[in-house]
Amino acid sequence: MDPILSEIYQTVLGAAPYVIIAYALMWMILLVYVLIMVFSLKKTEKQMAALTEELRLRQKG
Amino acid sequence: MRERTIFDSLAWMALLLGALLSTAGFVLAFTTAPMVKGVDLQVFAQIGGVHVDYQLLFSQKIFYFHMPVAITSFIALLFTAIYSIIFLVKKDPKYDLRARIATEIALVFVLMTMASGMLWERYEWGVWWTWEPRLTTYFILTLMVIAYFILRRALDDPERRATYAAVFGVIAAVNAPISFLITRIIPTRTHPVIFRTDSGLPPDMLLPLLLSMFGILMVAFGIYRFRLREQRLRLQLEDLKAQLED
Repeated sequence: MDPILSEIYQTVLGAAPYVIIAYALMWMILLVYVLIMVFSLKKTEKQMAALTEELRLRQKG
Repeated sequence: MRERTIFDSLAWMALLLGALLSTAGFVLAFTTAPMVKGVDLQVFAQIGGVHVDYQLLFSQKIFYFHMPVAITSFIALLFTAIYSIIFLVKKDPKYDLRARIATEIALVFVLMTMASGMLWERYEWGVWWTWEPRLTTYFILTLMVIAYFILRRALDDPERRATYAAVFGVIAAVNAPISFLITRIIPTRTHPVIFRTDSGLPPDMLLPLLLSMFGILMVAFGIYRFRLREQRLRLQLEDLKAQLED
C-alpha cells in the first residue's frame, strides 16, 4: 500500500476488529434476549391453550 | 383469557420498525457519515477525490450504537423508578411486574453499553477499564441493576420481595441521572457531553445517530411489551393450574 495511505488508514485497519466485535456483541446480546423471550412466550401460550382446553372439557363433563 | 391491549398489538410493529430504523442508522453510519479526524499528518493523499492529511478515527463508529443503547438503559431505569414508586403507593403487584421487566430491559442495554464501551476503550486508550467519572458511575449503576435481581431471588415472600425490590429499584435508578450528568459535573476530555446545543454534529453524522436512537428505543419498547405479555400469560397459567387442581 502507498505509505501515505497506509499512515492514514493505520487507525482504520487497527480499529476495524474492535468495531466489528462491538457491533456483533451488541446484536448478539439483544438477539439472545429476544430469542429467549419469544421461545418462552410460545411455550407459555402453548401450555395456556392446553390447560384452557382441559378446563373446558372438565367443566363440560 | 386476557384481551390484548393496543400496546400489545403495537409491539410487533415497534420491534419491526425499530429493527429497520436501527439497521438504516447502522448502514448510514458506515456509508455516508464521515470519519472523525485524527492526528494531522505532514503529508496528504487524495481519497475519493478528497484531500486528506489526517488520520481517520474508525473506532468512533461504535458511538452510533453505543450512545443510543446507553440512553435506552437510562430510560429503562427511569421506568423502573416510576413503576416502583407507583407500586409503593398502590401496592398493586402489576406495577412490581412492570418494574421488574423494565429493570430486565435496562440490564440487557447496560450489558450492550458495557461491551461496546470496553471495546472502544481497549482500542483508543489501550486498556479494558479505567476509573474515570462516567465509567465509574456507570459501573456502580451496573452493579446495582445486577443486585436488584439478586435481591429478588433472595426473598421468598412475594409482598416483601416486591416492596424491597421497589425501594432498591428507585435507589438504583437514581444512578441514571448521576451517570448521565457526571460529564457536566466533572468534565473530562475522554467522555463527551452529549445532548448539547453546540455539539456541532454535521447532518451526515446526526442522521444515523438519530435513526439508531429512535430504532433502539422502539426495539426496547417492543421487547418490553412482549415480555410483559409473556409474564401476564404465565400468571394466568398459574391461576388455571390452581383451578384444575381444585
